[in-house]
Amino acid sequence: MAFCDLKPVRIINDSTGIVYIIGDVFAVYANAPVPAAYSWDQIQSVIEDRKALTIKTENCDFVIPKKDFSHQEDYFRALAIIECAQKSGGFIYEHQRRILPLKSEYIETDPGKDAYSGSCEIDENDAAATFIMLMNFKLVKVLWLLAIMLILLIFLVLHLTVGIDRDNVLYFIPISIIGGAILTLIVYLICYGIARSKYTSVAGCDPASQEQITFIISPYGFAACESCIYEDQELIPWGSLDYFVESDKMFVFYKDGRTSVFVPKKAFEKKYLGGIADIISLKLEQR
Amino acid sequence: MGVEIKSEHIDIGGKSVILVSVNGGSAVMGTCSAGYGAKRGDTSAQTRLFYIGSNPAAEILCPNHGSKNSDKLISLCTGYSFMDEDIHSTLTDCLNRLNRGESLTAGLHDALALLPDGVYTLYLSDYYTTDGAGTFFWGAYNLTHEIHGTAEHNRVIGRNKTYRPCFLIPGVPLDTFDNKTLPITNEAVKSRAVQGIVYHLSGLHSVLLKGHHGAVSCTNAKIPFKCAVIEKLDEPYTDEYIPVTPAPAPSPEPKSSENPTESPEEQDQPQNSIPAHQNAEIPSHEGITGFRSASVKIPLELIPRDMIKTIIEHRFEYKPEHYRTLQRKLGTVRKKSYSNKVIPRQALEISEQMPDCEMMESVFSVEKLTQAQLDALLAGETELNGEIIISPNFYASIVTACNFLQYTNPKKFIEFSLAILDNTELYATHEYIANRISRIISKDVYAFFKAIIANGDPGYEKILPIAEKYISFYDKQTENK
Repeated sequence: MAFCDLKPVRIINDSTGIVYIIGDVFAVYANAPVPAAYSWDQIQSVIEDRKALTIKTENCDFVIPKKDFSHQEDYFRALAIIECAQKSGGFIYEHQRRILPLKSEYIETDPGKDAYSGSCEIDENDAAATFIMLMNFKLVKVLWLLAIMLILLIFLVLHLTVGIDRDNVLYFIPISIIGGAILTLIVYLICYGIARSKYTSVAGCDPASQEQITFIISPYGFAACESCIYEDQELIPWGSLDYFVESDKMFVFYKDGRTSVFVPKKAFEKKYLGGIADIISLKLEQR
Repeated sequence: MGVEIKSEHIDIGGKSVILVSVNGGSAVMGTCSAGYGAKRGDTSAQTRLFYIGSNPAAEILCPNHGSKNSDKLISLCTGYSFMDEDIHSTLTDCLNRLNRGESLTAGLHDALALLPDGVYTLYLSDYYTTDGAGTFFWGAYNLTHEIHGTAEHNRVIGRNKTYRPCFLIPGVPLDTFDNKTLPITNEAVKSRAVQGIVYHLSGLHSVLLKGHHGAVSCTNAKIPFKCAVIEKLDEPYTDEYIPVTPAPAPSPEPKSSENPTESPEEQDQPQNSIPAHQNAEIPSHEGITGFRSASVKIPLELIPRDMIKTIIEHRFEYKPEHYRTLQRKLGTVRKKSYSNKVIPRQALEISEQMPDCEMMESVFSVEKLTQAQLDALLAGETELNGEIIISPNFYASIVTACNFLQYTNPKKFIEFSLAILDNTELYATHEYIANRISRIISKDVYAFFKAIIANGDPGYEKILPIAEKYISFYDKQTENK
């Protein structure tokens, strides 16, 4: 099992004195002399929302507020243990949006000697710029089409309202072109705003966006994981991805048509980027 | 921080169980996960290691993503020549202390200090000096192959029953066998109360840490190979909860009259979406019942609090600090995958006659078989008086019954097996039964096989080769005598 060396997390609820332990079993020290312990196959669901983790068993819901985790690392560790347990336990897992892949996707394997590793925080501006680049990539033809249609539309509206004749046609053509361009630019700026807010909303949900992330690119797979819990023994096999896109600042991996991972180039030394690109392009289709 | 070893004696159904907790152990001996073999293109079999000191000793391939229902593929690691000298001398010292009459906890104290943190159970048990398939254990693990009986959840025994591991995996390679040591151990084993120290690895198999030469001597002299067993207690188990039937109340409360079908437990159950502060009302039957090892199940209430803490506040298995060294050594090429050392022939022959894994599985899965049950099985039934005798599957029932009888009552085994072979309607089981019975030298079996060859009944076509082989072997044996 991946992340099998992470220490269990002990969470104390100061107001009630209840102690929760998230490890190979989920245990609750309440008022009874013996803790109630659950194997993960006895857990029905784990729901992560903005404020708490709710672990549901057959008869009880255990609500663990996020503020009760004494360190951010404890929280990441708890999530990693839960996500790995979900793979074998099979319980329902509802979580906030993530900028990193779930830990259940990892397998425990040695990255090998040919692996490249690096770490950095995912910069919001870089990620947003990549989002926009991807948006441009998708929208560029649509925007050109939109601009032409808007030009024609403005021209038509002017003709119907003012009436075009030989005297004013030289004014109306540039007005239509400029009008179409301005409107297209407005549409583009709206899309830009949406793209940026899309990343910031995901990043806002995931505390990992404020954390140092370790990136591994190996011939056997890749990893993008919070540095505080990464053990250098876990990888996501390349087979779980579909294709990748390379921007000037990042490699973006795709799975089922959606972005799966952003790998910032700045995480690695410049001299290694060629080797990294080679591994990725050997393993994934580039689009 | 020094190692802290605490022991407790717990009474479970009149049986005393020794529990030992190890905190701050040096973890120079134990098992750890070594991940998937992605390098060799295998992403479905997980690898585990049994390590001793700075050496990976045994590689355990766990197929089907480490499924606990699957048998493992085990081999001694390439490049492993011998355990570190200090560990060897500690284990030797432990065995000597046990044989000087010290208790298991006192005698094994130093060996326990070598283990990773956790809770262990200690006991004495007889081991068969084989791999569970009739091969003497010491030379049986040179090449990676599937070892029957190594699944944590044995299909025959079932998930809920406990069993005593009884087969061995060597802790040192066969190259360390020295013929000159045998005369010494031949004498020593006669006076020893404990012949070896084993660490339970998986299913019915344990690693022999100390007592390899003694195992050869015991096998030769047909002395039971009694070992001190160290078994980790870390698997959660849940016994089926049987709700208490509510007694008829003399004056029912208005609330209960509204919903007479609701049991007291159901009434006590908290509603869904209980906030954290109400968690004190967790129903007593919620969650797991306790923790178990292969041989013992201990309810949570009986495990001392500090030991529960040790179990739940540690992962069941950690990689040792020197994991990288182990991993580096794992890939080194073995100078030779075979050994020039030869175990005495007598020991090898005696090993072949020892109970095998299938027999032991049946012994642990069946408590007893009455004559009425055997008669019902012979009549093609799997049930008697509405109760399943062994299994709803007839073939599995016959196989298990035969193996059980072979271990517990060889005479009855021959009678039962011949009765099955005599019944042409039970044709499907004939080949298996004939194979099992052909391992026993008996006049009755000889007569039966001779008769089927003479009759030439097409119903016995499948077992004719077994019969012919048996007759020629039997004749040779008689001539030799």
